[in-house]
Amino acid sequence: MTDQRVKRCLDPGMSLLVGTVDADGAPSCCRAVGLASNDDLATVTVYLPLATSQRIIQDVATTHRIAVAATHVIDHCSVQLKGTASTARLARQDEAPVITEWLDAFSSVLDAVGVPRRVTLSLNHWPAFAVEMRVDQLFEQTPGPNAGSQLK
Amino acid sequence: MTTTRVRLSDIARCFQGIVPSIIATSDSRGMPNVTYLSQVHLVDDRHVALSCQFFNKTRRNLDENRSACVEVNDPLTLQAYRLRVTFLRSEKTGPLFDTMALRINAIAAATGMNGVFRLIAADVFEVQSVEEVHGFLSGPPPDTCALGVSLDGLRTEMRGLQWVSQRITHATDLESLLTEVLSALEEYFNFAHTSVLLFDESRRVLVTMASRGYGRSGVGAEVALGEGIIGTVALGRRLLRLTSLEADLRYGRAIRRETAAGERSLDAEIPPPGLPDAQSVLAIPLKIGDRLVGVLVAEDRDPMRFGEWHEAYLEIIANQIAFSIDRMLDRADDGDADAEKVAGSASRNRLASQPTPRSRRRLTYYRSDDAVFVDDEYLIRNIPARILWKVLSESVRTGRTEFSNREMRLDPSLGLPPVKDNFESRLILLRHRLKEKCPDLQIVSTGRGRFALRAGAAIEMIER
Repeated sequence: MTDQRVKRCLDPGMSLLVGTVDADGAPSCCRAVGLASNDDLATVTVYLPLATSQRIIQDVATTHRIAVAATHVIDHCSVQLKGTASTARLARQDEAPVITEWLDAFSSVLDAVGVPRRVTLSLNHWPAFAVEMRVDQLFEQTPGPNAGSQLK
Repeated sequence: MTTTRVRLSDIARCFQGIVPSIIATSDSRGMPNVTYLSQVHLVDDRHVALSCQFFNKTRRNLDENRSACVEVNDPLTLQAYRLRVTFLRSEKTGPLFDTMALRINAIAAATGMNGVFRLIAADVFEVQSVEEVHGFLSGPPPDTCALGVSLDGLRTEMRGLQWVSQRITHATDLESLLTEVLSALEEYFNFAHTSVLLFDESRRVLVTMASRGYGRSGVGAEVALGEGIIGTVALGRRLLRLTSLEADLRYGRAIRRETAAGERSLDAEIPPPGLPDAQSVLAIPLKIGDRLVGVLVAEDRDPMRFGEWHEAYLEIIANQIAFSIDRMLDRADDGDADAEKVAGSASRNRLASQPTPRSRRRLTYYRSDDAVFVDDEYLIRNIPARILWKVLSESVRTGRTEFSNREMRLDPSLGLPPVKDNFESRLILLRHRLKEKCPDLQIVSTGRGRFALRAGAAIEMIER
């Protein structure tokens, strides 16, 4: 059973980052716009704006390796999921609410730290890719002496 | 995805640390890692430096695979840029390290994390390419000019220097100098919240001597060397510009919270002085050579208030202010010899013989605390407290109300340091504290090197 602290990564409003690597070992990163899991984080679906994630999708198709970091902007609590991407596809229309709910919550969080909501809402978020990944490892990433410790 | 190649200097705003940047690395087995970065420092048009505070996964990955991808954002528009970079080296000493460490040390000091949250190395990367991420925003980036937002200086450098110089030159004493400096900074640079702290070398503290734009003057507030953002700037003798202060402090507090779960005890958190909701701070050491004179501080609620332009330019002005303060402090000695004669003979008005006081004030000197209280409220401590007690006692005993700086300097009971005693600044401090806490009692200047005590209330003196 995954503890509540780790499960926070699925909360709407978490800042989501995705990292991949190509066949030559060159890493890439981009911001994600939603994260969902219905099996207690054994697998997750991460949503990436189509406009900004084409390099990421190429990497995933080549190496299948993917890392997702979820961070709460205000208290910096952070975890990183690492695993293997099984599928990369266009997000379905019935998945759009996951993304809009995330963006709405994220804009509220940033608004609380001084980034106007209209600025955050200007982030491109649709259409999106959905990357399904198996979570092989889970790491604590909150800045401090425990950062990097393995949780799974 | 289309990309546009840009120069690092074109996106200098992205390196102010307002929007956290991202880095992706990979280990030798091809497993990626992605995380936020504390600081991306623009070194030149081909190099950036990243702060290394912990020996974390990113740092270990770079030892195995030197390629990395960094994403930075424009703080005004949020537009993203991707940098393909190659790790070159770690610098653990030198100017680049010192510059990056100062910012981290200041945040550590302000969150009680001295020694725990610190820069281990400045990791230098060669930038292979910079690309604007098209499609990052759903529309075109807003025109920052149309928004009325600018990070540039308002007027020309030469005019600004001339303006501030003139104001400094016209000042006749230390108090007017400090007032003129802060006034000029507001009029020319629109710096609405500023303060000057002078260094008291004997006690190793900085004392707030003048402020502008705050509800309470804060004059007399002290900061120990190395304490908080101002103390860190004073200790390092280096200018510090902090943007997104709240985000930095939150980051420091997150580390503090995580560390506090362990056994190590931490210093009490020190709230930043001045604006409780400051988002940006520019703290400039006032120094002559390596000798610290004080610190000039400007704060603002706008996280982007202070730009690189201010940093470079105000350092020049700060040098001039430091020389002027030092000159004023030295010049205060000049008139002492003349004043000595006056003080002995003139103005023998007894405190009690001044216009009939309408009220009564009780001043208590607590010898063990070296502090004076007025009507049970703290007034002042240390040397200014001893000066006040001396002149009050002398007035009551002899009826004298006029005194000279020189006779104060010659009195060993006051404990003034033999050189650079900052006597005038201590008198200014006393004057301000009286004005705020006991306006019935005034210290007024009666000429160079002379001052007088004026009482508008009956004074009761108690010593404990």
